[in-house]
Amino acid sequence: MGNAKQSSGGRALVVCAVVSVILFTVSCQTGDEGPLGMVRGAFQTVTSPIRHVGALAAAPFQGLGNVMTNLTADQATLSELEAENAQLRARNVELEEAAQSAERLQDLLDLRDSNDLQSTAARIISGSVDSWSSTVTIDKGSSDGVTTGMPVLSSSGVIGQVVSCGANTATVRLLSDENSSISAMVQSSRAQGMLEGSATGDVSLRLVRTSQEVAIGDVVITSGLGGVFPKGLPLGQVTSVENNPGDLYLDISVELFADAENEGEVLVVTSLTEEQRASAEDIAEADAQETSGSQQGSDEDSEDGSSDGANQSQDDGTSQDDQTE
Amino acid sequence: MIVADKNRDVRTCVVLAVVCLVLQLALAPNLGLGNGRANLALVFASLMALLMGGSRGVIAGFVAGLVFDLSTTGPIGLMAFCLTVSSFVLGLEGRDRMSGDFASSVALFSGASLIVSLVYHLAMLLVGQASSFIDVLFLRTLPTAVLSIAFFLPFAYYFARLRSSGPSLGGRGGHFSTKGL
Repeated sequence: MGNAKQSSGGRALVVCAVVSVILFTVSCQTGDEGPLGMVRGAFQTVTSPIRHVGALAAAPFQGLGNVMTNLTADQATLSELEAENAQLRARNVELEEAAQSAERLQDLLDLRDSNDLQSTAARIISGSVDSWSSTVTIDKGSSDGVTTGMPVLSSSGVIGQVVSCGANTATVRLLSDENSSISAMVQSSRAQGMLEGSATGDVSLRLVRTSQEVAIGDVVITSGLGGVFPKGLPLGQVTSVENNPGDLYLDISVELFADAENEGEVLVVTSLTEEQRASAEDIAEADAQETSGSQQGSDEDSEDGSSDGANQSQDDGTSQDDQTE
Repeated sequence: MIVADKNRDVRTCVVLAVVCLVLQLALAPNLGLGNGRANLALVFASLMALLMGGSRGVIAGFVAGLVFDLSTTGPIGLMAFCLTVSSFVLGLEGRDRMSGDFASSVALFSGASLIVSLVYHLAMLLVGQASSFIDVLFLRTLPTAVLSIAFFLPFAYYFARLRSSGPSLGGRGGHFSTKGL
């Protein structure tokens, strides 16, 4: 019985071996293009659900497989992977930069659309070339319609004003520059003033009467009174307010929204519409603030002369104490 | 005298085929050691050869190898040939060699696994699908053989110890089980 099975096994061996060799030969000759390739494709299609289930089930344990693969990988494989990793890392940096640039451009477009600005886009190509001025250079000049005096915005808000213009480049004086001064107002209280830079780079809102209400955190925007900047553009946020006795104006420090060093793309506002300019009502309101402030100041001078004297004596006393110390 | 229960053989064959096919397609690709993967077709073919032997073992090996070839990207027919030959050799001494003989069946399978893996990967080297002999030997042949042996152990234990005195793999307890069938 056993011998009979062995002989039939021999016949099966011969037949199957011959078929295998034929299949192997045909497979090597035709590759995946022939009928065997089609059969393989059909088989893999039919069995793909099982593979997917297996992949899902094994996903939590994939890390273990990777550890073993890494431990047994040869040096050439590791070198290739390191090189590929370096390329992918560089590519990732490029893509992140492109994504950030696209985001900034989108913000600029949003700002332009929301304020209905007529503008041209530019890119900051360099910072200040000297140590005593805060300027940046943009890649658009007079050939692109840029002229001196035009406001320049980033997606965060106003960054400055064009102060000189070449054919293909323009220099923008930043708001933090010592010589920068633009009309501004506190958004919540509509208190008018001038936003001025300083040699240290700090920005302050001046010429705001002490009678005006200004609080830390208030947003400062352009007032449009100068006729250069569109009104309502964001400038910065109030960080400190000092009301010194006897002073006519508040001492207000402002932190700018836009940091030109971190901006790549900007908008140069080429022209203003009538709606973006300060209206007669805005001008009248600013005059009224100045007038009421002046009257209040003169009233306080006439009525509270003794108290001023007392304050003065207090101040003097403090000064003396300070000097004593 | 050994009495063959053909229905039970068919049940065993079908269940083993399904289990090994699922493991081969679902688990083996996700369980690697170096570049090696477990060869469940070899496990199935060896089990069939050791359990049944003869022509049925050879045909089972051929079919298992063919399925393995179809599930990989290598040349079709290579594993079919290897398993045909290995099944014939393992089944030479007659049927049901596993019953009560766990150690020898593992030893037979280990030898077969090493040889089949080596021959298969050497052939792959010859047809240009592998790069170096070192790679073939240490990163493919040995890990494949080790993983295949690991997968073979539970089956060998079942057929050598449990099946000879307990329920059959087909689900219904065979009344010939206690007689080693």
